[in-house]
Amino acid sequence: MQNIDAINVSGIRAEPPVNYLTNGFTIKSWLLTKDHKRIAIMYLLSISVFFMLGGLYASAIRLELLTPASDLLQSGTYNKVFTQHGIIMIFLFLIPAIPAVLGNFLIPIMIGAKDLAFPRINLLSLYIYWAAGALIVFALLQGGVDTGWTFYTPYSTTFSNSYVMLVGLGIFVNGFSSILTGLNFIVTIHTMRAPGMTWFRMPLFVWAHYATSLVMILGTPVIAITVLMLALERAVGIGIFDPAIGGDPILFQHLFWFYSHPAVYIMILPGMGIISELISNFSRKKIFGYEFIAFSSIAIAVFGFLVWGHHMFVSGQSIYAGLVFSFLTMVVAVPSAIKVFNWAATLYQGSISYDTPMLYGLFFIGLFLIGGLTGLFLGAIGLTVHLTDTYFIVAHFHYVMVGGQVLAYLGGIHYWWSKMTGKMYPEFWGKIAAMLVFVGFNLTFFPQFILGYMGMPRRYASYPAEFQVLNIFSTAGASILGIGLMMPVFYLTYSFFFGKKAEANPWMLPGLEWRTASPPPTENFEKTPIVTWEAYEFGEENGLDLEEAKRRELVAPVV
Amino acid sequence: MANYLSEEHIEGHEHEDQEHIGIPGYLVVFGILVVGTILTYFTSFLDLDKIFAGANTLLALLIAFTKMTVVVLYFMHVRWSSRLVWLTAIAGFFWLAIMFAFTMQDYLTRSSGTF
Amino acid sequence: MANHADTHDDHYHPPGLQHQFDDMKQQMDSVTIGMWAFLVQEIMFFGGLFTVYLVFRSRYPMAFAAGSNHLDPFWGGLNTLVLIVSSLTMALTVYYAQKGNRNMQVILIVLTMLFGTVFLGVKAVEYNDKYNHGLIPVNGWNKKIKEGEHTTEKSSLTLPFETKVSAASEEGKTEVHANPKGNFQIEDKDLELVQNAVNGNYLTQSEKIGYFNANNEIDKGMFTGKVQIFFWIYFVMTGLHALHMIIGLGVMLWLLWMAWRGTFTAQYFAPVEIAGLYWHFVDIVWIFLFPLLYLLGRHFLH
Repeated sequence: MQNIDAINVSGIRAEPPVNYLTNGFTIKSWLLTKDHKRIAIMYLLSISVFFMLGGLYASAIRLELLTPASDLLQSGTYNKVFTQHGIIMIFLFLIPAIPAVLGNFLIPIMIGAKDLAFPRINLLSLYIYWAAGALIVFALLQGGVDTGWTFYTPYSTTFSNSYVMLVGLGIFVNGFSSILTGLNFIVTIHTMRAPGMTWFRMPLFVWAHYATSLVMILGTPVIAITVLMLALERAVGIGIFDPAIGGDPILFQHLFWFYSHPAVYIMILPGMGIISELISNFSRKKIFGYEFIAFSSIAIAVFGFLVWGHHMFVSGQSIYAGLVFSFLTMVVAVPSAIKVFNWAATLYQGSISYDTPMLYGLFFIGLFLIGGLTGLFLGAIGLTVHLTDTYFIVAHFHYVMVGGQVLAYLGGIHYWWSKMTGKMYPEFWGKIAAMLVFVGFNLTFFPQFILGYMGMPRRYASYPAEFQVLNIFSTAGASILGIGLMMPVFYLTYSFFFGKKAEANPWMLPGLEWRTASPPPTENFEKTPIVTWEAYEFGEENGLDLEEAKRRELVAPVV
Repeated sequence: MANYLSEEHIEGHEHEDQEHIGIPGYLVVFGILVVGTILTYFTSFLDLDKIFAGANTLLALLIAFTKMTVVVLYFMHVRWSSRLVWLTAIAGFFWLAIMFAFTMQDYLTRSSGTF
Repeated sequence: MANHADTHDDHYHPPGLQHQFDDMKQQMDSVTIGMWAFLVQEIMFFGGLFTVYLVFRSRYPMAFAAGSNHLDPFWGGLNTLVLIVSSLTMALTVYYAQKGNRNMQVILIVLTMLFGTVFLGVKAVEYNDKYNHGLIPVNGWNKKIKEGEHTTEKSSLTLPFETKVSAASEEGKTEVHANPKGNFQIEDKDLELVQNAVNGNYLTQSEKIGYFNANNEIDKGMFTGKVQIFFWIYFVMTGLHALHMIIGLGVMLWLLWMAWRGTFTAQYFAPVEIAGLYWHFVDIVWIFLFPLLYLLGRHFLH
């Protein structure tokens, strides 16, 4: 019986007779598939579409903010534009992106399974996502919402004349897509691991998705019930958020943020999982502090549920609640910091190669650091009173969500592109795009820290003239960022059809996903792997020695 | 045709324990639930707040928790399930407790006060 | 765990084993954990509503007592017993499925569905009662009763030791007051609760502000708003619960069809087990809803 327990690149058939892409060409074979890889590709296409839609709204915002006056868009329209930018980006892009695309594709392969535990539920998740997207886009076409993505009451329940209920319904439906994905991942990781794949041999990417799935299951139902209550109150005209009958608008905020704060950990944890993979693999070195990173992921997921009040410091909640939430916000930063230290320690004395995915990984560390630290500033009550509802907040969350998650997502897409498509992306254009993204991003959002500190409020279409210069920098940066983000759409599509064929393990890496063909066959492995090696196990015994890597020019020679 | 799969991997292997309480056991659990319901109904009419404020509420909740516990342990077979299932069930209620506690800590400490 | 490294399916597959699983135990473990994860999600879903209940009950206990006194604990208690019986029949269904006894399975599923339907029927009776008495919290959604159309109707079973079923009833009868616009309305007698609380000095801070007008008198309109909140919560919580019952009945129907066809054997009964988990969960939610909505306020009037 052949075990694939030693890396044997030539032993894997470069071209199995049928891979998951060529296993059926009809539309029905795609739309009714149970293959997690095909579902992941369909998610990839859908998510890209929504990302671009959200990006269009972002362009409208930045164009309007070129001038101090509200001249391109009226305030009412501007309200709709930033609301819709937020809703599309958060619910239709950031929350599903990494888990639904990369998580779906890779988790079964990384643990040596044939598929997820519930393939049909996986397909259902996709359908539900499409339904939610359709509902939200339909609502936008009808006229959209103007409440801010946070839907604060009583504006959203009583006074807004926009399509709150329709968008709310879309968000409600989208929640179930998330919940079912999380459920699938948790069960899969518990019960479908291949023989020998113990918990501590799993890649950290899988640990990250496990932690994310915990948050998805525990948090998402709360936004669902909250949106339901909001819609009901709006529909019947009476409800528990209405102060006139004794209700409390702040209760909405409590319930809303109970989910929406952990939601940001749904967004960033998978990204951190990708970064662990990128940093370790492109330093050709076992990750430093594997258990620390694994447990930090769980700690972030758990502690993330205890801090939601830091979005409500000035809302009217009690000062003592503010105290508790502020303290816990400082605590939740610790596991993230532990990860950053471990990544840095991994880089130290590693044999680093600056391929495109690694560039994204390194940029992530710097940008996430800034975003995370500014989050600490905002967690301190004294500072937050000054900075709340200013551009400082906007800059903070874009640093972690774009500088963090989007960069991790792009890094992951490039890294596993060869595995998913069997083609290599063009390295030159990849590097150009990565650098444009980095430069454009910083130019867009760093001035916003300054603007916020200087007092420019967020969600305003017009602003005092003295803020214009920085806003112009920001818009200029956004143009560069936009170009950098659009470039992969083109060169990745091109490479899918005309790119260089990739071998199974182009970078000579130890992960289980690299021990099957690129693209993999439908059942992932020709034979069920029996795992006898540890995670990230480089080294000569495994045929992954440095000399061979240098000979194949996978690593830049040390000068 | 003899096959190792259906013989070696008989599902329900770990469920043999469920026969330990069997139908009589289920009827006992049922009895507990009925008694609990009747008890909670009648004690709700008595003014127990004389003993201490909130006593009625506490008693009703204790009875409800007891009923829930027997349903979870015996009807839902958690008594004989893996530790993972135990952990999942406990996690659900723990998270609920977080939601209650951290929301109420705002309301209870407001200067307008609750009590 | 597979004890063979071959992924090619050249051996016998037990009926009911899905292709992604290696053996029945893996499938059973997976679906069990999967259903429990789903139930955890349901706990948090209902949990949001329980949080709302908690917040407002701690703020306005007298309004909640007034609202609770308009509910009939007899029907609520009966429903509780009905669901408990259905839980028993469900547990027995799993027991017999595990034994491979098709006939008993079918009988017990039918019984479970029967009790579930009875539950929904009682809820319909209760909701209709609220409609008749102007207790649906949305103005205009109650029965429109013109001025002069006073009626008294017998309220449901009054047990011997009870002095009053609700604040509004005397000798087991309920006055039905005029309600030309179908608005939400409470009885003047409900305000007794507030007066008693004033006398006994056990109003909360929020109540001291919330029930009294500028002249520091008990204001019926202000009190009504808080009772409206109670009924909003009542309808949303029991309505959502009823919706879950309906879904449960749908699941039972599907289960019945499969059981009738003899699909379940001693080797394969996972769907029955996990349907049972769902059903018991719905029962547990009601176990909490009953005392929290129907019973916590009774003692103020006795």
